[in-house]
Amino acid sequence: MTTMSTERGTRQKSTDDRAVITLRGVEKYFPIKEGALQRVVGQVRAVDGVSFEVRPGETMGLVGESGCGKTTLGRCISGLASPTGGKIYFRLPDAAAARLDEIDAVPENERTQEQRKEVARIDAEHGITQLSGVGWRTYRRNCQVVFQDSFSSLNPRQLVKDIVGRPLRVYREASGQELTEKVVSLLESVGLGRQHLYRYPHQFSGGQRQRISIARALALDPEFIVLDEPTSALDVSVQAQILNLLHELQSERGLTYLFISHDLGVVRLMSDRIAVMYLGKVAEHGTAHELFEDPRHPYTEALLAANPDISAEASEMKGLSGTVPDPANPPEGCRFHTRCPVATPACGWEVDDAVAWLQTNETLLAGLLDVERRSNFEATLVFSDAAAAGAVDDALQNANVPAPMMNALADLSSDGTRVHIRFTAVEPVALEDIGGGHLTACILHTSQGRDNRE
Amino acid sequence: MVDVLAPETATVRVDGPWTVRLRRLADVSKQVLSNPTTLVGLVIIIALLSLTVLAPVLTEPNFPNPYQMPRDWGARDAPPGTPGHILGTTSTGGDVFYGVVWGARTSLRLSLIVVGVTVTVGTIVGSLAGFIGGKLDEILMRTVDILLAIPELIFALAIAAVLGPSFGNIIFALSVVFWVKYARIIRGQIIHVKQNEYVDAARITGDSKLNIYRRDVLPNSVTPVIVQATLDMGGIVLTAATLSFIGLAEAGLAEWGVLVSDGQAGISAGKWWASTFPGLMVFLWALAFNLVGDGMRDVLDPRTEGR
Amino acid sequence: MTVGAETIRQQATRPLVASVRDLRVYFEAKAGRVHAVDGVSFEIRDGETLGLVGETGCGKSVTARSFIRLVPTPPGIYAGGEIDFWSTEARRTGGDPVDLLEIPHDDMLAIRGDRIAMIFQDPGKALNPALSIRSQMAEVFYQHRSEEILMAMGPDVPWIVRRAARQQTTGIERMLLKIPPWRAKAAQLRRMVDDLVSQALTETQIANPRKIMDSYPHELSGGMKQRVLIAQALACNPDLLIADEPTTALDVTIQARILELIAELQERLETSVLYISHDLSLVKEICDRVAVMYAGRIVETGTTEEIFSNPAHPYTRGLMAAVPSATHKRGKLAAIEGTVPELIDPPPSCRFNTRCPYAVDICRTTDPTDVDLGESHRVACFIYDTSLDSAVRPSRERRTS
Repeated sequence: MTTMSTERGTRQKSTDDRAVITLRGVEKYFPIKEGALQRVVGQVRAVDGVSFEVRPGETMGLVGESGCGKTTLGRCISGLASPTGGKIYFRLPDAAAARLDEIDAVPENERTQEQRKEVARIDAEHGITQLSGVGWRTYRRNCQVVFQDSFSSLNPRQLVKDIVGRPLRVYREASGQELTEKVVSLLESVGLGRQHLYRYPHQFSGGQRQRISIARALALDPEFIVLDEPTSALDVSVQAQILNLLHELQSERGLTYLFISHDLGVVRLMSDRIAVMYLGKVAEHGTAHELFEDPRHPYTEALLAANPDISAEASEMKGLSGTVPDPANPPEGCRFHTRCPVATPACGWEVDDAVAWLQTNETLLAGLLDVERRSNFEATLVFSDAAAAGAVDDALQNANVPAPMMNALADLSSDGTRVHIRFTAVEPVALEDIGGGHLTACILHTSQGRDNRE
Repeated sequence: MVDVLAPETATVRVDGPWTVRLRRLADVSKQVLSNPTTLVGLVIIIALLSLTVLAPVLTEPNFPNPYQMPRDWGARDAPPGTPGHILGTTSTGGDVFYGVVWGARTSLRLSLIVVGVTVTVGTIVGSLAGFIGGKLDEILMRTVDILLAIPELIFALAIAAVLGPSFGNIIFALSVVFWVKYARIIRGQIIHVKQNEYVDAARITGDSKLNIYRRDVLPNSVTPVIVQATLDMGGIVLTAATLSFIGLAEAGLAEWGVLVSDGQAGISAGKWWASTFPGLMVFLWALAFNLVGDGMRDVLDPRTEGR
Repeated sequence: MTVGAETIRQQATRPLVASVRDLRVYFEAKAGRVHAVDGVSFEIRDGETLGLVGETGCGKSVTARSFIRLVPTPPGIYAGGEIDFWSTEARRTGGDPVDLLEIPHDDMLAIRGDRIAMIFQDPGKALNPALSIRSQMAEVFYQHRSEEILMAMGPDVPWIVRRAARQQTTGIERMLLKIPPWRAKAAQLRRMVDDLVSQALTETQIANPRKIMDSYPHELSGGMKQRVLIAQALACNPDLLIADEPTTALDVTIQARILELIAELQERLETSVLYISHDLSLVKEICDRVAVMYAGRIVETGTTEEIFSNPAHPYTRGLMAAVPSATHKRGKLAAIEGTVPELIDPPPSCRFNTRCPYAVDICRTTDPTDVDLGESHRVACFIYDTSLDSAVRPSRERRTS
């Protein structure tokens, strides 16, 4: 790894022995409030247990569709939002990470005082929600963001010079003429010039505004930049300019990127490693090559199949049917099973799936009065009359029901106006390493699934 | 959109920061003035302001208190055109022209103080509520809601009546009552502006909350307040005139509302001038500021901003 | 996707549905006239999907909206050209086309929604949040199918119910409709329209149409809203469907489903589609023919095959090289330098000359004319103009910048 140091020495040398950003079990829940007194009735689980690390100098791609939590995760990593659970670490040394792994393997109540103290110490030194003083300033200087909307990410009432020079002013790195010169050099490094110093953002095009954002992010010579859909709002030709620029800057300055995007083509181009998110969790994680050539999760495959690729032969794009589960009440098993084309009976079928299926059939649905839940997997459906109940009982046994769901139904019985259903309960699905750092959360590929199948 | 990136532009004119800022101000002003009704309003305002400035020149200031109507017992109920009293006199011998001119001063003082105080207080309360949010927001906004439930005019009336008839008390009452809507306006704007990513960017830069408020949030939230303040410059005078009309100001004050009230009795007897001219002034004042305020609203509308 | 094994020649002889000729749409701005659409010509044939592709500001949306005269005419001006349209009727009887830019407003109202339908980019903005889906979709049927519905209702339909079907009732009449004798007939009218709406929704593979009909737009997901809009657009079996970036606001997996749906419906209803997009890869997947627009002009037209395997215009080539795909390496996207020029009162020239790596003098002073490159492949570029002297003519071998 090249040594990088600035006059301020905030960048350390020989950065092979630590990560830049480490996420461990990060959760971000948003409360749902209802009623006149604004009681909390539930939580939207935007990010629900995400762990990965970003190594120095690499570009980590974070890809997923709307609602998957990637933007929220980006905001947690950059310090704009605080996670409600789990930890985010900045410059966590590998040795410390190993210690945390060891200690985590010990159940909470069996840990020694020593171990607890050690965890607390590591948290205080590297956990971004607990940093203060010099530690906080180091993190803040070295973690910058480029936003998607170039129009709303620049203060419309400030001149470019003030926008780009502001970080330098806040940290008192320069003032007066020196500041102006530094700003000019930043502008030149992103393809703009001195003549742009005293203009307002609205006088520039989208691509130029994005360059200004990048210049601002570079002002303090940071180590790490979170790029939240930086080119999604730009035209193709401008996007290409900006992506080339980002790549150039990364090579020149040894930057580390977290590249968030929904555009697979761009992510593939820019990333070394990629994490695919779905409904708050990581579905698959691996190198760009692995994910695109050898995907091991049906959702990744679906994304690839749905993505129009200009260089491919004329292929049929395939989409996904089915509904996305409620993020306030996600399935206990695999979150993707409601839309997965290759779902198995062991994927975690629940009462909600049966009810959703019922809702697609008007006549069967008409008689339903209530659903008495015993758990996510077991419930009793109450109907208005025995005929309606009987009809549903019959329907649940014939082939109109998706086969995996039918096979997962461990118990189906009816009694007058009540139909009792019970699915086989499953464990939550864990991300598993299937070889060389390629992780997936699909039981079709993991040992957890193999166990289930045996 | 100008092709700013073209490297071939040989004449690279680097305008200084103040040139650019002044040019932007000039552009906005030009836009405001391009509307004929706004222009009319502005002309009227300039005329009214000249009256306030030239008051001691146009008339002999009354001694000891120029804001008290002079009494010329020799010329009472004189019609307009009487030598020495162009607009006539009141039933107590006060020169109507004097009342018109010095009334302008009174009105200006009134509106500047009241608008100044209400905007400041309202902005502070609204900013605290909008920027800090949470419980503080709840408390402040519930207070605002309660206050807004009381009709403004009645409220001001009650305060002024309790404190006693004096124009100073009217100013006080209006200041106490009319700040509330500014709190609402600016809170709404701040909440909206806070969602912009440049506020996030400022946080990422590590700037202090106060600086973020000063540089990013406040300047971008202030436009509707400016428009409302302009409109209020006119409206406050109208409200004060109403209060002094019902007798809450000291008698004999050179103030348009008082004059209208005093001249009322004479109208049925055909002495129209003592009420009409001051009343006309109130109308002109309110009209002028309304026209300018509306013109500014059209120009400063956020949808057309940033072009 | 619908043409299948037809040869290009067969495709070229299908009957015309629309023919745009030298369309010019300008906008009045303080600085002058913006030439948003500056001499655009293309054809849409029966049953095909034509992709109109270009970047922001190239004029593709304005072109599309001109078909149904949706361009606001205070700032906008229809400065020239014509859009000839043959409805199924006209094609069958061998009649003449109508010029969509010239026909009277009432005729345009009759065509809009009935013969030509349009779906827009943001489904959330295209639906009225205060009305249920049922009311919004019923609108289409009341507007265009009232006579058929009335006929199907039988012989004695009271006058007041007739007026309701034609949406001509006043407030008092609407109150009267609540009184028995008339109430039953009004209810029957509503039920018939509901059935039509439900049918239209089922066509778009919506599993539970009645539930959707009772819902309000904010209760539906983006994909579902777009389905409703497609159902609404295709309700009257239009001859031409104009889709203005209908999937830009949707996730990619939903996008694929919506496009499948449009393709399937198109095939079944034999509608032609004008598909506007900025996404080249998408256009390649779903369109039969493509027209590439830049700065208000069409620079290249041809079948998808022709354009993508042999792009001729430097802009088309540049655009394709700029799209990230499996073949690209990081940092090596071929970006087109510069930005789109101002379109205010532009002089005669090739609009791309400021960014074209092969531009020569003639490109800066003369409007390029269309050159035929093959069966249906046309390009507006001097490089291919064989009538020019080689000294004056630009060449792909000679880079000038």
